Amino acid sequence: MSTKDSQPAQGTIVEEELHLTLLELCQATRASQEYVVTWVYEGVLEPLGQAPEDWRFTGESLRRARLACWLTRDLEINPPGVAMALDLLDEIATLQARLQRLGEP
Amino acid sequence: MKFKDYYETFGLPRGATQDEIKRTYRKLARKYHPDVNKDADAEARFKELGEAYAVLKDPEKRAAYDQMGNQWKAGQDFQPPPDWDAGFEFRGDGADDGIDASEFFEALFGRHANRAGHRSSGHARGEDHHAKVLIDLEDAYRGAERSISLRVPVVDAQGHVTLAERRLDVSIPKGVRAGQHLRLAGQGEPGRGNGPAGDLYLEIGFNPHPQFRVDGRDVFIDLPLAPWEAALGCSVSLPTPGGSVQLTIPAGSAAGRRLRLRGKGIPGNPPGDLYAVATLSLPPATSDSEKAAYRTLADAFDFNPRAHMKG
Repeated sequence: MSTKDSQPAQGTIVEEELHLTLLELCQATRASQEYVVTWVYEGVLEPLGQAPEDWRFTGESLRRARLACWLTRDLEINPPGVAMALDLLDEIATLQARLQRLGEP
Repeated sequence: MKFKDYYETFGLPRGATQDEIKRTYRKLARKYHPDVNKDADAEARFKELGEAYAVLKDPEKRAAYDQMGNQWKAGQDFQPPPDWDAGFEFRGDGADDGIDASEFFEALFGRHANRAGHRSSGHARGEDHHAKVLIDLEDAYRGAERSISLRVPVVDAQGHVTLAERRLDVSIPKGVRAGQHLRLAGQGEPGRGNGPAGDLYLEIGFNPHPQFRVDGRDVFIDLPLAPWEAALGCSVSLPTPGGSVQLTIPAGSAAGRRLRLRGKGIPGNPPGDLYAVATLSLPPATSDSEKAAYRTLADAFDFNPRAHMKG
């Protein structure tokens, strides 16, 4: 069975055109608000705005929050551990990008 | 639909303890998580692990699966026997939201496998869905349309669940970069009752390119030069994802010199830059006249490339 929509769907680039609210980030990642709040205080996510109801998350938070969810749920890593794992993964990504610039595979 | 042997996924015997299952899952999941492992098949492997773990970590699901699974082998054609899960209570518990499940999993354990009587009434927003889409670097320069295929669980009149394929044409905006997400409002899971549909998030990735390397919005290309081109300067036609451009190579360009073409990277505000990285290609000396040319070079230069080496 296959269905097809006739008009191409128009997407919005999350990283450039959108800021997600706390609720939207929770819906997109299936993380509880409680977890997201903890990650913000742990420095895993850095939203704009002061109070949780004013928080606006960038697209980068979407990727980090999904990863944080997995680390928390399946590997049972606590919030400081999640923060550390994400920092290390970021560093590996930076180094890999540098290798790539130099033309290494 | 094929039967899936979740124990085989973990390489564990059926009698494995819950602790062994947890330990094995964690070990394999750490290895295959797509943010850690860049192999092409890591993501598929990681999904399989997640699905197997969703069943085996839950004693109730595992017991129901074991009771039925004794009679099947991996890859066999499979239909769930009627009332295979009689006496177990796990359907639609929502505990597995977020895993990208196979048809096999959906039919047995999926939220959509709820029988009519069990279905909760009321209204709820559909879940947000996630998928990955690979585009060519050129698509990011020009914008493109991509047809992607999504799997959606569908319940038939008898309450059987199958995964239907849904084609969705998506317009890829110019200037999108690898790792960014597109949000397609209302293209996620349909809502229940009068609830609104969820959104679909597409993560963008680039297909590997034989010539160009990408870092964020900047694009790199190796530019091979003959020794005399590098020494004397020249003008070359350089391919870029947006079309070729004429590039002047200054005299005395050493290997590794980066020539920046401002704004010729991935379009945007600001656009990225394109870097041509000079490399030197030495022509082999085969014929007599080619050998003579190299000898003339040797005579003309007082040049020792190993002058900095001691001893």
